[in-house]
Amino acid sequence: MSFREKSAWVTFVLLLGFGIYFVEVASPWWNPTAPHVNHFQLFILLLIAIVILEIASHIVITMQSPRDAKAPLDERERLIALRATRPAFFVLLVGAFLSIGTMHLGVSTWVLAHCVLLAIWIAELTRFGTQVYFYRRGI
Amino acid sequence: MSPGPIQNNIRRLRFDHDEMTQQSLAERVGVTRQTVNAIELGKYSPSLEVAFRIAAVFAKPLEEVFQYHAGQDEAG
Repeated sequence: MSFREKSAWVTFVLLLGFGIYFVEVASPWWNPTAPHVNHFQLFILLLIAIVILEIASHIVITMQSPRDAKAPLDERERLIALRATRPAFFVLLVGAFLSIGTMHLGVSTWVLAHCVLLAIWIAELTRFGTQVYFYRRGI
Repeated sequence: MSPGPIQNNIRRLRFDHDEMTQQSLAERVGVTRQTVNAIELGKYSPSLEVAFRIAAVFAKPLEEVFQYHAGQDEAG
């Protein structure tokens, strides 16, 4: 497995971990008796944890193949990055329009902001998930 | 996945050149080993530039390294 494939896997898995935030934010809808959690603190905490884990894991995978890590993207890797951007952009676009649509439901700006955040999260998951898929397939 | 319309003899040419490794070929061409592997398996069709560089490594004309089979459907 190449350095960049490992990098895409790591980022994809760590991004998945950020799903904890959305589960926590949405939990009062299905469990109104759930204990109150400070969402802003949770958001910052998860963000810091993801940044630290990204750095740590990239140090590890760089040590495994330092030459690959230093090398610029080759043409197949650039193609994979570009191809993965296309479905991610589509997801982001749909998410953005759906988020705008929530305004007509009379939701608060807090919910609107979280709809946008959710769209960005799903789009990034799509981007790195698609990269992993193309790396596995060869292209 | 079925092979695409562009097929190649890279594996045989590597063998003929003192069993050159994919890594060695990749370093000479300036791509990753995984990209050489993908080209060799017909999963990825390289750019003209990389195709010429591969042919240059083996000191062969391009058509001896890569062949185009118009009848084959493109993979993926």
